[in-house]
Amino acid sequence: MRKPVKDLSAKEFDQLYNCDRFSALVLGNRYRYIVKHMCTGLLTRAFSIILRDWYDFAGTISGPPELNYPMVAVSDSLILFIGTMPYAVSNTVEEYGVSNIEPGDVLLCNDPYRKGTHVMDTCFIRPVFYQGKIVAFINLTAHLLDMGGIVPGGFGAEKVNIFENGLVIPPSVLYKKNKPYPPTWKLLFDNTRYGEVLLPDIKTIYESLRLGEQLLLESIEKYGLDAIHGAMRYSCDVAEDAAVEGISKLPDGVYVGEELVDADGIDDTEEYRLRVKITKKKSRIEVDLSGTSRQARTCINAGWLDAEDAVVMALKFLVDPLAPVNSGSFRPVDLVLPEGTVVSALPPEGPIYLYWEMTNPLLLAVWKALSNAVGADAVGGDVGSLTIHSANGLWPDGRLWLNQSVVGGEHGPWGANKVADGDNYSTIVLANSYDTSTEAAEADSPVVLLRKEYVTDSGGPGIHRGGSAVRRDSLWLLPGEHRCVPLHFKTPSGFGVFGGRDGTQGAVWLFEPKVWRKYKEKYGLIPVTTDVYNESIPIAGVLNSKTKELDSKGEYFWPWRQKVWHIDAEYIFRYQTNGGGGWGDPFQKDPEIVRQQVRDEYVSIEGARRDYGVVIIGTNDPHKEPEKIEVDWEETQKLRRNSSR
Amino acid sequence: MISVDVGGTFTDVVAVEKGKVRVKKLPTSKTREKAVLEGLAALGVKDKKTFNHASTIGLNSILTRNLPKIGFLTTWGHRDILDMGRGWRPLDALTNPSWRRSFGDAMRPLVPRYLRRGIKERILQTGEVLIDLDAAQAREELETLKRQNIEGIAICLINAYVNNDHEVRLRELVKEVLGDIPVSISSEVSPLAKEYTRASTTVVDTFMKLIMGQYVDNLLKGAEKLGFRGNTNLADCAAMLIPHKFSMQKPFRNIFSGPAAGTVSAAYFGRLINEEHLICCDIGGTTSDISIVREGKPTVRTEFEIEQDMIVNTLANEIFSIGAGGGSIVHVSPTGELLVGPESAGGDPGPACYDKGGKSLTTTDICLLIGIVDADRFMGGEMPLYPKLAREAVERLNIKLPNEEKIRFAYAVALNNIAEGITDVCVSSGVDPRDYSLLAYGSAGPMLLPALLEELRVKRVIVPPNPGAFSALGLLSTDLVFTNERTAYMVLTPDKAEKIDKVYQELEDVMIKEIGKREGIEIERTFDGMYVGQTWTTSLVSMPAGRITAETIREMIANFNTEYEKRAGNKFEYLPVMGVTYRSRIMVPLPKAPYEKVSQRQAGRPKTQRKKVLSCIKDSKGNDIEVSEYDREELMLGDVIKGPAIIREPMSTTHILEGQKAVIGKYGEIYVERS
Amino acid sequence: MNRHRRPAEKFLYVEKKDVPGKICPECRSSNVKEYPILSDGGWFTVTKCQDCLFSLQRTPFPPEARLGSKLRLLSDYL
Repeated sequence: MRKPVKDLSAKEFDQLYNCDRFSALVLGNRYRYIVKHMCTGLLTRAFSIILRDWYDFAGTISGPPELNYPMVAVSDSLILFIGTMPYAVSNTVEEYGVSNIEPGDVLLCNDPYRKGTHVMDTCFIRPVFYQGKIVAFINLTAHLLDMGGIVPGGFGAEKVNIFENGLVIPPSVLYKKNKPYPPTWKLLFDNTRYGEVLLPDIKTIYESLRLGEQLLLESIEKYGLDAIHGAMRYSCDVAEDAAVEGISKLPDGVYVGEELVDADGIDDTEEYRLRVKITKKKSRIEVDLSGTSRQARTCINAGWLDAEDAVVMALKFLVDPLAPVNSGSFRPVDLVLPEGTVVSALPPEGPIYLYWEMTNPLLLAVWKALSNAVGADAVGGDVGSLTIHSANGLWPDGRLWLNQSVVGGEHGPWGANKVADGDNYSTIVLANSYDTSTEAAEADSPVVLLRKEYVTDSGGPGIHRGGSAVRRDSLWLLPGEHRCVPLHFKTPSGFGVFGGRDGTQGAVWLFEPKVWRKYKEKYGLIPVTTDVYNESIPIAGVLNSKTKELDSKGEYFWPWRQKVWHIDAEYIFRYQTNGGGGWGDPFQKDPEIVRQQVRDEYVSIEGARRDYGVVIIGTNDPHKEPEKIEVDWEETQKLRRNSSR
Repeated sequence: MISVDVGGTFTDVVAVEKGKVRVKKLPTSKTREKAVLEGLAALGVKDKKTFNHASTIGLNSILTRNLPKIGFLTTWGHRDILDMGRGWRPLDALTNPSWRRSFGDAMRPLVPRYLRRGIKERILQTGEVLIDLDAAQAREELETLKRQNIEGIAICLINAYVNNDHEVRLRELVKEVLGDIPVSISSEVSPLAKEYTRASTTVVDTFMKLIMGQYVDNLLKGAEKLGFRGNTNLADCAAMLIPHKFSMQKPFRNIFSGPAAGTVSAAYFGRLINEEHLICCDIGGTTSDISIVREGKPTVRTEFEIEQDMIVNTLANEIFSIGAGGGSIVHVSPTGELLVGPESAGGDPGPACYDKGGKSLTTTDICLLIGIVDADRFMGGEMPLYPKLAREAVERLNIKLPNEEKIRFAYAVALNNIAEGITDVCVSSGVDPRDYSLLAYGSAGPMLLPALLEELRVKRVIVPPNPGAFSALGLLSTDLVFTNERTAYMVLTPDKAEKIDKVYQELEDVMIKEIGKREGIEIERTFDGMYVGQTWTTSLVSMPAGRITAETIREMIANFNTEYEKRAGNKFEYLPVMGVTYRSRIMVPLPKAPYEKVSQRQAGRPKTQRKKVLSCIKDSKGNDIEVSEYDREELMLGDVIKGPAIIREPMSTTHILEGQKAVIGKYGEIYVERS
Repeated sequence: MNRHRRPAEKFLYVEKKDVPGKICPECRSSNVKEYPILSDGGWFTVTKCQDCLFSLQRTPFPPEARLGSKLRLLSDYL
């Protein structure tokens, strides 16, 4: 059994890692800098909106085959990619054949079953040669705009097999001797849409890999190969120690948690359950996913690499949030995973595409299972789903426009925890991305974002409030083809913890031009009233069947009664995300803070009374008289005392 | 002339008369102008023609949220822009459920939600009006804000950078309802696309109008009382001086001018001593501010980040601040690693050895215990230090090492953090340190940086005269610069020549009106562009002045491709280029502060004032290090001092190591080189 | 590449096989089972004590099963 790194004497350290503690510290940081520089270049020079505006890519450095391909340093982007990249590299390189690799090669692979995530995400791997041998790999996984298949851009829930999903590129070579290897490029260009954007993007990716390689080689020249490899092992060992320490702090026991995904793209007859049973003894932990649903019939599934990523990161968030992420973080966790589930789908049916829609709920199931075990360290559930909206159409001059991940529910709240209310505007915890500004979006597609704001009384009540739900109204100025993929409205994703309560559930509605024309002059927006919802076409959510308003006891509207919406100009989509989960008993929240939240319209006067036991007086109109809002301390005390809590 | 740099801890005042430079350092006062006026009085202002001013007052107010109450107006449905930011989180928050956006409503917003109001109006990306401005609704919102007693208003409407009619009308309504309070509208403050950064810039502008407005008024009145009759110029984030009235029209640009002045000072001094490529490192109490001077010019960026994701669209000298300074705290992490910083003990209570109640072990304490800092000679002897307190702080450090080891390790880590920071800056700036010299200044720069000569592989380390007040000196080595810019998305084709020409004419007319003349001025133009399909621009691409013709457009495209390839390693000439932001600047030269030459030593050698043996650290052979100490004011041109040695002056210490030598240059600057 | 059908069962389980005769060296329990797991490095067949989770044995899947027990590459037959 390895001794924790901090307990090693200077001599033991030197012997184990072929360098002194100081150099190891320096090199560990150096690897992170290299990755960061690699990624900054790509972000600011990319062409695909999904790279440059969403930051939908990740960079890592991995060690060589003889060290078992440890992932040593990662970029500040999505965990969804990062946690699969150790395997992306090892599976691609092993299958391609280490002995087949030559200096100047760049390999690539996009197959979810080998490298994780989905086919749009392509992993580019640059083997670094030093004195004739491979000493490391520099890697970038980036979302390329389109990979063919039946859905332009890919974001639809209707695909039923891998052939409809898009081009699968097995481990292949893209550059040989630092020159593009045309057959692979031609395969891409001839089978995908938007080749003219892929070309500069991939070239930019190549330059970024070269930068990473150059910086690493400089470090090898300076410190020597033994120290470089020693420092790689050190970085992973330190992360492992931190993970073990975090896990050890959990009370021994068996913990169970579940999350629900609404339905798949065929019909509403089947729901999908994520189930985790966590067994923890001393410093060991095993997470068993037995009892999880079989894979769905359409492309909402995830693969085995995504499952491991989500489970390891779920634990890390709760018990070891600050240590750097690398292969060491994975070592203490054993995952018992049935094959053929929604998070370990097998080809060719039920392909993998909207994988995070399964793995973020998997993470939430882990959090739910451990909520009681971690006590005050529990974290409220987040927005749960990306609920991506995608659309395409033609400008009057015949050019194609593509709008993806901008007007749906892609940005939404985090749950609260012991530190503070949840942020309202983030994204699912497994992701990390830039928000496309309204103005950039409107310059790119024929859309007007009428609303991009928060919903009152939607954040889970608690001593700390869950982040509020986000509401987005998009008005379309030209006809187009639209797809929605809402998958988590049946149950709240923002579960409350430590005495906190759940956030609200969201929904998606469509409004015909006549609704816009009715309210345009008077309001400049379509309002948020019962009248308006009455006139809506509900797309997804649990709604009152008569009024079509949100009603957690209402009827579930399954999103794909219409697989694709072909709409004309002046239609409006309204998205409301789920709210984040609250932390702590709301009836213990300082009434002064509640007063501020009513003043800020995060909580209504009625909501203050109902959810927090706080009686507000002074005015009935927080919008007009914010500073007149006061707490009636006596009534509040009474109300709180008499409540049946 | 006289200049002032108001920092967080110290205010430096520098006066030049008849070629002689005099410096005064005072602790920054709570009422900012107090210390400044004290300094002005001490050095005398009656005969001075120019008063140049830089500070970090704006930045510090925002960081501490010590802010006036203002309202924010935006398009209905978008009031939450300021809480949203750009939505992403940094690397060290990747798996941290406690991370929050620092300026979000869940943490410390600049403008609380109830003071952010939506106005019924909507303009499209084409400039077309979808919903007209509803004056009645706007008045109602303004009346509400009036009742909340706000002191200023920031306005940012969606797509106002294309059509600003509604913003202008809204400003008039503000005047109608709220009277003469400061108002900033985004289309004038920063007419660039992407509403969040434009909104945050506009909000900062309103804050600065209130914070700086009052301060500058008081300062000018106070200076007038002291007999000052000259011109006052304010420095912006690129340390460009602007006459105060013009500057205060867009005061968001002044938020972080102090450190920028250091870089400009470095560029100017570098040109005097023929050093065109400099890595500038200003090590103060809390941070090291690192910047690059290339071919005699600082690197200028088009935005400044106050906190993670809190952006101000302003031309700013690119300065990287790392949490490593004289007051950085030495501590042990939960996983047993010895770390230095980023937390700092600041100036109050400060390092343990200050005896002001501080218990933390800091870099200064370490240097004191080693012997690099002299307990009796710190700040010219005005501030005695207490090694005993430093030693007690070392004892308290919870790591399994003998005290000598702790000190040695902490010293190495402190140096390494700075080396890492500098290396990181070099990498991200594409700089090969072997082509550069390292300029060391700030209160702790000369003390720490020569030790990194080998590690960083720079050509040499240079300590300028007066390194402790170098930034304030910088304000006397720069020119008056007027800048103006505008965003107008246009694909660059020959037929756009007239349109673009009009844009530049308008930008330049505004500035020329201020300057008051057309002859003898130099106009410099640049633009930010991108390939069609990108969304981040490549900024500050050069282009010619004068009338814009089809030929000019072709030159712009060629320059863009060249610049892109230089920075990115490749280019895509088949892709059309979109011009995004057009910038113009006019420079009015000012007389510069001369550096006094030092005379050549006629005979003999520089006098060793003292000798001592350093504690805890050893030389490369493991032996004790015996240093010779010199006083800087005794040194003369041509003097060569072999390391190990220490050169002392009232506000600084230069530490030269074995295997190094210090050579004195013609202005008294110290060149630390390999022997 | 593969011809898997969607499982007929709604919920899936991993079978943990009894390993008679094995005693956990750490806690002396006889509740030892053998089953597949996924951890850093890929898929393993483990023999683990179910009481204290000590691993008596951990064997990586063979190279052709790099992607799991069910996914196989047709190209391996070239």
